[in-house]
Amino acid sequence: MERSIRFYDVSLRDGNHALKHQLSAEFVAAYAALSGKTSTWALEVGHGNGLGGSSHLVGKSAETDQNLLESARAFLPNSQLAVHVIPGFATIDRDIQPAVDVGVDVFRIASHASEATVCQTHIEYLSNLPVEVHGVLMMSHTVTIAQLVEQAKILLEFGATAIVFMDSAGHYRPSDVGERVRALRSETAVDVGFHAHNNLGLAVQNAIAAIESGASIVDVSSRGLGAGAGNVPFELLALALGMDETAPEEFSGVLALADLVSSNFPQFLPQISPSSIRSGLLGVFSGYAPQVEKLSEEFGVSAAKIWASVAARKLVAGQESMLREIAQDLQNL
Amino acid sequence: MDKKIKVAILGTGNIGSDLAERLLASDDFELVAVAGRRPESSGLARLRSRVSLVSSSGIDGFRDCWDSIQGVFDATSAKDHLMHSLELRKLGKWVIDLTPSKIGKATVPVLADQYPDFGYLTTDVANYSMVTCGGQSSAPVIAAIAEASSEIQEIEISSSISSDSAGPATRRNIDNYVDSTESLARGVARTNKVKSILVLNPAEPPPLMRTTVVARAPGILLEHAKEIVHRYVSKTQDYVPGYELVVEPHFIEQGVLSATVSVEGEGYFLPRHAGNLDIINAAAVEVARRHVALNGRV
Repeated sequence: MERSIRFYDVSLRDGNHALKHQLSAEFVAAYAALSGKTSTWALEVGHGNGLGGSSHLVGKSAETDQNLLESARAFLPNSQLAVHVIPGFATIDRDIQPAVDVGVDVFRIASHASEATVCQTHIEYLSNLPVEVHGVLMMSHTVTIAQLVEQAKILLEFGATAIVFMDSAGHYRPSDVGERVRALRSETAVDVGFHAHNNLGLAVQNAIAAIESGASIVDVSSRGLGAGAGNVPFELLALALGMDETAPEEFSGVLALADLVSSNFPQFLPQISPSSIRSGLLGVFSGYAPQVEKLSEEFGVSAAKIWASVAARKLVAGQESMLREIAQDLQNL
Repeated sequence: MDKKIKVAILGTGNIGSDLAERLLASDDFELVAVAGRRPESSGLARLRSRVSLVSSSGIDGFRDCWDSIQGVFDATSAKDHLMHSLELRKLGKWVIDLTPSKIGKATVPVLADQYPDFGYLTTDVANYSMVTCGGQSSAPVIAAIAEASSEIQEIEISSSISSDSAGPATRRNIDNYVDSTESLARGVARTNKVKSILVLNPAEPPPLMRTTVVARAPGILLEHAKEIVHRYVSKTQDYVPGYELVVEPHFIEQGVLSATVSVEGEGYFLPRHAGNLDIINAAAVEVARRHVALNGRV
């Protein structure tokens, strides 16, 4: 197994989308304690949209960011505690500095793939502190490879030390992922990370493609717990990488995490459904799935039609409030 | 007798240029002077034959014509505005601040009657801040819900704007945007529990600006709230014609109301989808008009 790969566990952040942001501090503590026994490099914790994400727009958190992070910190002595941060949701004073104070080690500052410049203040602020700052480009399939590289360079100029690109819609095939990793690797000197969604059932294959193309940070999630069809199931990627043979103890630790998720959230485990396949093929944000299903019922409009309209209007992440207007317009057609 | 309000504009970027076109098209104003910083500025070039004084020396360019300028619109930068503000105060001129400096009085025309805190000053010297697009677009809905309920316990404002209408200053100061929008919402809703969210969308063709307000107001009656929201929307349309209620107030949970507005710009200089910039300029012009009417300096 390639020891240089850093497993970045998003179960307690992206997974919070699947849990409708109802993650408890107790579960975070239990998960963090088990996670410390695996080869996880960093554990990301928080609301699905990251710090400051709790809102009527996306969903209210059951716990404050502070409580979730403190619980994780207490039981995570050896691996890094990480957060996802979207400027426009999280501010430095209200959200970032308190997270620094709790002892978060890795801050991922994220924007829509073409909007890296909104990250400037947040990245610059954190660059001056003893924490690691990574730049994240979400919905990366909506821009060309050249644009992706250009936006990555903007984040690096602000002070990010690694670039993560996200397949937020679960739209990529393995070759798409490989091309992008290679482009980022050859045009920048930093570590590249990849975050998959499993809408088309390709998350593990895409993660392998990323690793084979030179990605050194891979986002994983126990049982794939994450928005829409979920992320890369940690246990399946570990298996695909042969960890059951090369690192059996670590692998059993990963399986224990999967057990913990399975037994606590049997009804929330992500599934690849016709709806997730449609949204993946259309390239629309996975996180909208629960609202789309709900509005489909309320307005008597098929989910397929809503997804198509979301795609036609090119919504980005964070535009949940547009979904109602879309359903309403479809009903009035 | 000439009753026009004589004004000047500082800054000829997108906002300043749109303001200039707006004022030149208005019967109520006479645009006496505009000043920029760069002699080669395309904004200045566009106005050279249409405004009697066009200067590239910034505020100093107005020194010989202060007698004919009643007030100034400042569309430069927050930093420049600090100096301009002091200078204008000495000269006894009112100023409408379109920068994010926040040193002026946060003002929203539709609130003026009910909320003196966000209304007009009865002094000749005045500095009015136009807050943010999220603030200008959400305030009418928040005020309506406040009027329709006994108490607002929580407010959330989420706005989406087209990427091309979010300039470098907005992007660099996104926290500032959030803070200013929340501060206005706190004042209107009279609650400390407020949250503002801003999302940039790069879609082509660019989408219209949208703002969704969510309010926790236990006991509020839906039909009553709808009626008042419609009234406020219509009052806002008096000075922002492209302001529209696109999702009617509805409950998202018990006692929690949500409504969405969109803003289409008038297209003076800025593209029509840039309703976020348009609503700021529309408010600025309305504030100038009302300030002068109140203080009788025409």
